[in-house]
Amino acid sequence: MAMTTRPENDIENLRTSLATDAARKLAHTTKSVPQMQGISSRWLLKVLPWVQVQGGVYRVNRRLSYAVGDGRVTFTTTGARVQVIPQELCELPMLRGFDDLAVLQALADRFVQRDLRPGEAITEQGKPADSICLIAHGKVNRIGKGKYGDETALDVLADGDSYSWEALLESNDSWPYTARAATPCTVLILQQDAFEAIVAQSPALRAHLDQFRRRALKKQDGTGQAAIELAAGHSGEPVLPATYVDYETAPREYELGVVQTVLQVHTRVADLFNQPMNQTEQQLRLTVEALKERQEDELVNNREFGLLHNADLKQRIHTRGGPPTPDDMDELLATVWKDPTVFLAHPRAIAAFGRECSRRGIYPTSIDLGGHMVPAWRGIPLLPCNKIPVGESRTSSILLMRTGENNQGVIGLHQAGIPDEIEPSLSVRFMGINEKAIISYLVSCYFSTAVLVPDALGILENVEIGRADG
Amino acid sequence: MMDLGPSGGPGDAEPTSLSTAGARQLAHTTKSVPQMQGISPRWLLQMLPWQEVHGGVYRVNRRLSHAIGSGRLLFSVAGGRVEIVAPTLAELPVLRGFDDAAALGALAGGFSAREVAAGELIVARGQSADHLVAIAHGRAHKLGAGKYGDDAILDVLSDGDHVGDRAVLAPGATWAFSLRAVTACTVLALPGRLLAQLIDQHAGLRAHLAQLAARLARPQDKLGQAAIELSAGHTGEPVLPATFVDYELAPREHELGVVQTTVKLHTRVSDLYNVPHQQLEQQLRLTLEAVREQQEHELICNREFGLLHNADLKQRIHPRGGPPTPDDMDELLSRRRRTGLFLAHPQAIAAFHRECNRRGLYPTPVEVHGRRVPAWRGVPLLPCDKLPISRAGTSPILALRLGAEHQGVTGLRPTGLPDEVEPGLSVRRMTINGQAITSYLVSAYCSAAVLVPDALGVLEDVQIGR
Repeated sequence: MAMTTRPENDIENLRTSLATDAARKLAHTTKSVPQMQGISSRWLLKVLPWVQVQGGVYRVNRRLSYAVGDGRVTFTTTGARVQVIPQELCELPMLRGFDDLAVLQALADRFVQRDLRPGEAITEQGKPADSICLIAHGKVNRIGKGKYGDETALDVLADGDSYSWEALLESNDSWPYTARAATPCTVLILQQDAFEAIVAQSPALRAHLDQFRRRALKKQDGTGQAAIELAAGHSGEPVLPATYVDYETAPREYELGVVQTVLQVHTRVADLFNQPMNQTEQQLRLTVEALKERQEDELVNNREFGLLHNADLKQRIHTRGGPPTPDDMDELLATVWKDPTVFLAHPRAIAAFGRECSRRGIYPTSIDLGGHMVPAWRGIPLLPCNKIPVGESRTSSILLMRTGENNQGVIGLHQAGIPDEIEPSLSVRFMGINEKAIISYLVSCYFSTAVLVPDALGILENVEIGRADG
Repeated sequence: MMDLGPSGGPGDAEPTSLSTAGARQLAHTTKSVPQMQGISPRWLLQMLPWQEVHGGVYRVNRRLSHAIGSGRLLFSVAGGRVEIVAPTLAELPVLRGFDDAAALGALAGGFSAREVAAGELIVARGQSADHLVAIAHGRAHKLGAGKYGDDAILDVLSDGDHVGDRAVLAPGATWAFSLRAVTACTVLALPGRLLAQLIDQHAGLRAHLAQLAARLARPQDKLGQAAIELSAGHTGEPVLPATFVDYELAPREHELGVVQTTVKLHTRVSDLYNVPHQQLEQQLRLTLEAVREQQEHELICNREFGLLHNADLKQRIHPRGGPPTPDDMDELLSRRRRTGLFLAHPQAIAAFHRECNRRGLYPTPVEVHGRRVPAWRGVPLLPCDKLPISRAGTSPILALRLGAEHQGVTGLRPTGLPDEVEPGLSVRRMTINGQAITSYLVSAYCSAAVLVPDALGVLEDVQIGR
């Protein structure tokens, strides 16, 4: 009886030792802890110095200031017709706090829309200054005259900016600069005579403007703070000025914000499936990671205290062209020139900046920051932060800040010492077990951030990160 | 008084627990100390080495110098007509110390103005030097002949500079250089014979010129100091020169400048409202910050001892173009040894960096006092907002050699003030008046001295716009 062996049986017969499949039945699998996408380096949380808050609220006391803040104006667009929202006119310093809606509406109606091609001038140096200009869309260059008659670009204005509100308050003045459209622009212009006609009709507006002028006359230093009077360089026996330092009587208070969640774990899971890893611990670890990512996001974007919403308008500059060039970064450095600590930018904005450097043949040296080599510009680390939004039109912002309470910089606020704390200002509290045998933990993180003086934070806006010619 | 008002939360549902607004009525608010805008790093105050001054006056003794200083001319524009401000003619070396107002007025009337377009020659090398030429407004390059016939830029002249005040008095002199306008220039010219006439008429001026010639004839080194005579490279047994080092007989004395104010505080405030921050301490802290800022401003802008007004005319240079280029900074750097720091307005630093960017340069930053700061050729380039920006958008950049031991720029301050709280700064309690207001006298004394002229250089009128 000859045995015929089938090929498929060969292998079966040839195996002389235990197969791995079978072996695995006896062996432990080495398991990684659960991995998670979306964990970033969270540089902002690392570089912010955290200041302890007691009682949930931090008050930033400041010297009294007579300067009236200004803001950006927003517009409504219907078809090609652009109009300013009447209430938004209160962002102009001279109308701040004025709330007669009928008068604001009348003012808004008198604005005349102009569409400009690149290179077209809106106002020309030396011509009588008799209008105010709101920029609805586009970039406008302000150009002054250099010492020897050549042109020098002063700054760039963009969407929502306005200029020359002073022109309306004075008569017989002339433009000290030329304003020229750098891109296609839509601007709204209000002539001085139209403005004065409305002022003549409204006693309330006239009273408001008078008060505004009086305020401007008070003694103040270059930043608008009530002056500390000093005598310097005198000889003889003049009477010395008597002075005191006045404080703001309604200073800004920052309440700690919160990020919270309830983490649920079934008791059966928590009790039994704990080797080699503790289930509750892993659940908690990933939750805390997500919480912290959200915390950083709030620090940047929160409408109340987020850094992007708390920069002073004077500290916001626009790129000259589109992409972030070394020149723009140097200009940003000139806004926060007092001991800047760190740049923060979206990773793609950093790449766009690197491209611009490469094009000019510049290679900025990296520096060592806490053991990491990080990119830097002029010795200031340039750190990535993916929480800074990138808009639909592929534009982003780059932040520059000075940190520290003693430097009057940007600080983080938290409250260490809360019950069941696992990290400063982050607590995990056992809530209870419900009828379905599910354990709940309350995970809370309290924090906020404060900009102590306006020049601690500067923002480079309208950074284009995807220029086709880049 | 607790306010548990129903308007506790933004949600629509009726709150079931205490709102944060309610809780705040019981809780302490954490308060920052009062914040103040306008505090700057005050790099100049940090970097200047300080000399202690006893007795309120610091005398800078120097070697005797035979050099005659010269200064800038000033111009007035009235109705489109540019005229020299007559008394400033005494800044010309040949007229130094001459104060006959009528004669100077007549001389000023002899100048005729002309406009020169950019690129034109104002004076041409080799032509007869029969005019004294002053630049009222504009920038011009002084061009010498290069070794192989090309033009070499010797110097950049600008507003208030002049050429040819000595040459026009020498018979048959020719210009040794050309002057080419690089911007549109307004130039004033005075025929040499008018100056000669004036000198003929005034015996005092003749004596002055004779003295001038005698001074220039004395043995002196290239900086104009009375020479220390030496013999070198000799062989044999010549008689060695006998020499001594002569000193200036009327050396410059620096008195300490003062910044003062009185701070008033009601006793009721200082007695009661002291937790968590001491009211008096905070009032004084902010006042001291303001005093220190003012002090730095004085060190730079004071007309007596401020650095901007104490730079020697030879140490004031102009940028070749408008903005501060690396070339201009190198030029500024080449004028002295051991430059310790550059000081510039933050906007001027941005302008300089733009020029670097354009050339593809990335100057490596250096570390100063533990902070990374921009630098050029290893010399820190520090920001200072006290440097003025003119209406035309120009600003100066300073370069300093530091320290008395290197004959540099040194800060002066007193020692041992009564009630001193910081070096050179005292806070003294004055009185409590009838309204129960306490007054404190805050005084800060300081000054600065430039020990030898080349310790301080200024790159003037750099353009900061693009």
